[in-house]
Amino acid sequence: MADTLVHADSHAHGHHEVDPGPLRYTMGGATRMTLLGGIVLGVICLVLSFFMDETAHHTRFWSNWLHNSVFFLGISFMSLFLVAAKVLFYSGWHTVFKRVFEAYAQFLPVAIILMAVIVVGVFTGATHIYHWSDAAALETDDILRAKSAFLNPIWYLAGAIVLPAIWHFVFGIKLRKLSIQEDEQGTADFDQHKSMRKTAGMFVPIAAFSSAFVVWLLIMSVDAHWYSTLFAWYATASWLVSAIGLTIILLVFLKALGYFGQVTVEHLHDLGKYLFAFSIFWSYLWFSQFMLIWYGNVGEETVYFQTRMDHYPVGFWANLAINFVAPFIILMANTTKRKLGVLTFVAMLVVFGHWLDFFQMLKPGIFETAMHAEHDAAGHGDEHAGDLHMDDAGHAVAGASHDAAGHGDDHAGEDHSTGHHDPNESVHAVHGKSGEHGAKSYAGFYFPGLIEVGTFLGFLSLFFLISLGALSRANLVPVNDPYLEESLHHHVV
Amino acid sequence: MSAPTSSLREPLVLGHKTYHDITEDICSPTESTPNAAWVAAFILSVTLLGLYAFCLVVTVWFGIGTWDLNRTVGWGWDITNFVWWVGIGHAGTLISAILLLFRQKWRTGVNRAAEAMTIFAVVCAGQFPLIHMGRQWLAFFIFPYPNTRGPLWVNFNSPLLWDVFAISTYLTVSLLFWYLGLVPDFATVRDRSKGLRRKIYNILCFGWTGAAKHWSRWESMALVLAGLSTPLVLSVHTIVSFDFATSVIPGWHTTIFPPYFVAGAIFSGFAMVLTLMLIARKVLNLEQYITITHIESMNKVILLTGSIVGVAYLTELFVAWYSGYVYEQFAFFNRALGPYYWSYFGMMACNVISPQLFWKKSWRRNITLTFFMSIFINIGMWFERFVIIATTLARDYLPSSWSYYIPTWVEIGIFVGTIGLFFTLFLVFTRVAPVIAIAEIKHILKSSGDQYSDHPDYQDGPVKSDKVLQNQPS
Repeated sequence: MADTLVHADSHAHGHHEVDPGPLRYTMGGATRMTLLGGIVLGVICLVLSFFMDETAHHTRFWSNWLHNSVFFLGISFMSLFLVAAKVLFYSGWHTVFKRVFEAYAQFLPVAIILMAVIVVGVFTGATHIYHWSDAAALETDDILRAKSAFLNPIWYLAGAIVLPAIWHFVFGIKLRKLSIQEDEQGTADFDQHKSMRKTAGMFVPIAAFSSAFVVWLLIMSVDAHWYSTLFAWYATASWLVSAIGLTIILLVFLKALGYFGQVTVEHLHDLGKYLFAFSIFWSYLWFSQFMLIWYGNVGEETVYFQTRMDHYPVGFWANLAINFVAPFIILMANTTKRKLGVLTFVAMLVVFGHWLDFFQMLKPGIFETAMHAEHDAAGHGDEHAGDLHMDDAGHAVAGASHDAAGHGDDHAGEDHSTGHHDPNESVHAVHGKSGEHGAKSYAGFYFPGLIEVGTFLGFLSLFFLISLGALSRANLVPVNDPYLEESLHHHVV
Repeated sequence: MSAPTSSLREPLVLGHKTYHDITEDICSPTESTPNAAWVAAFILSVTLLGLYAFCLVVTVWFGIGTWDLNRTVGWGWDITNFVWWVGIGHAGTLISAILLLFRQKWRTGVNRAAEAMTIFAVVCAGQFPLIHMGRQWLAFFIFPYPNTRGPLWVNFNSPLLWDVFAISTYLTVSLLFWYLGLVPDFATVRDRSKGLRRKIYNILCFGWTGAAKHWSRWESMALVLAGLSTPLVLSVHTIVSFDFATSVIPGWHTTIFPPYFVAGAIFSGFAMVLTLMLIARKVLNLEQYITITHIESMNKVILLTGSIVGVAYLTELFVAWYSGYVYEQFAFFNRALGPYYWSYFGMMACNVISPQLFWKKSWRRNITLTFFMSIFINIGMWFERFVIIATTLARDYLPSSWSYYIPTWVEIGIFVGTIGLFFTLFLVFTRVAPVIAIAEIKHILKSSGDQYSDHPDYQDGPVKSDKVLQNQPS
């Protein structure tokens, strides 16, 4: 059916003369300065968030660092996954720009170093972003103790450093090396390609299993009491959409500089389809997770969304509006996917949207942990004693509605007597409805502030600096790839 | 001339076929008297269909009591079979819609039969919700419409009702998509026939003339239907999974169910496509259209979806522990080591472990192994649904209500009978319609025919020189 269209059209377009542009990318001074400027901005914002933080343990700094490190770790991981998957699935059309995926994957070692900072924080106790790493909470919280065989610094080290290091040093480097080697020594036997296929074949299943662990440890464990079986796939889908969005942005940027003449609107159209399709896939996972938890109405599960809908409503709804509604409506038509301006705009929107998605995944749980730590430090720690029933489903929800009624402290006592930390207690306190925290406002936790956006731009600049550097160290187009011809003649409609 | 094709891609049409050869090869099975194998298979299928009718009469006459359901296990083989058949009915739409979007040319060899199989599987699946109601003559109660039954309405909050909509939508769109593809092929059959046969096929193809306008509309319609069916591939089994996951029963209420059910459905669907196509390609002499490459591609899909299902099984197990929730932990402990442990191990062995054999290329291309694997996988996927349903239900919240469930011959008869229904429909299909999409195979001939291939294994053909003349690089 559509195959016919492809063929019929390739006649007409077969003889396009395109100016391919230089085969190598060299980073221009303006680009370098802009990116370095962005990094400086990021550093300033990090410093500001460290000193201007209203929480007791520099939580704003730590949470921003974690948020952005996890975001870009995942993007570079998904880029490596795309490199491997494309080889494995005989994908041809993307070949002409596959070096962009490879370049993004080269950010992995940097992401590992960024994560190492958090690991040091977890080991030394400098951070109060993970509930399970809080020694005081561990003493009194039976749920955390029951999970401590998994939620502990050693496993965290494995999830933040060891598994990503395996991705990069065992598979990533090899795939990259073979790809470059193919440029230099490739023959019609495609030995390097076949070898890549083997490496990719090993990487994909390992990545599928290990990424779930990484997501559980780095992200889901922020809300240490809460769990959802779908969560790992949900977060991974978010990374995937971001990786595709960044690919579109970089290609359009490089085309504007005169590179990648071979990358035509046909390729961008298909990337637009990816952005459209995987945005819907992400929405599907979002809906599956939300709907089942909402419908089941089990307090331990609903508390996750209850917190976000009550206290993070802008981010909660913006997440859906930006990541589902916008790409769905704008990219539905073929014409919009072929207009670079529109496509780039949607890509930027969606990359920001998924960054916001990770903000929503991380900040509420981190904030709660930080507030508990402060609460304990203020001498209320002993109240938390008591045994915990994890099947005590009604409590979290009951707690939330109590809070809404506006009696913070007295009901907090009754929650503690059954051992439940009311997840909304501190949040409400901050809202000024009740409690000793008064009407104090904590910047950078409910919605990204300027400092958060600045930090994001800093990490983004670092990401582009590293990956553009990687891009400049190899040909832009893999000249001996077995699918290059297919890709050069790619036509969509 | 067509778009360049990488020499790594194996051809999908073998035997240096011309357009005329394709028409001959694919139409001829509908034009000759059926052979002995077909007749024997048809008699067996119709016999099983008779068993189905008989067991159905027993169920209706004596009531659901002829099944061994009890107060604790209210769903047994009935809903297990329902989910199993619906799952099988996923491959066709995946092949015709999603693989179309991903430009997988190999789908053209199998899409027609897979779509037919999808429709027949959904027909089988649709029986079970009706049968399990007990009072089938009231089945029309499931449709929401203003009625004279007072306040008796369907429960819009129930995923069981969503199933009614999801499955009927899926059946409708799949049927349309399948029929749309058949229209030009029915015209081809018509053009080769005479008399009454010609008249019948002329009606079936809506008087198709092959005009450019027809093709243009046909292509637009195909794209619209592909767009409509793509979300349907996900939605049907998602909603089937909601039947379980919206409850608060440990082992059922888990968020991974929707995508994991979809992956499992595609997994079993492809296994059934393989079972059917491995026989059909042999019996109908279609080995040059459904090649080893096609089989290998489908085995890769099986390996992928089987592994996704495996990741989901392990995620469920891990998170059951991680939840710290004793009932959740017990549900999974009970699945693996409880009274139905054998079905759990059957499921794991067939669905997760056995597909891993397909990591080896030569095994992916081994027809005998593939055939047995396709059967294994469908047994495993049946076990999966049985594990989810019976194992979970048999261990009620109250230990005094715990029970064990064994089906009666009536339930087994109904299940075996639907297999008879399925094969009867499929065998009739192979007689009346081209089992391979003639028009679509012709579309890929110039890029994927072996005489046009650059693949090193296919360089000895006599038509190679033509290729050089026709396919100059641009």
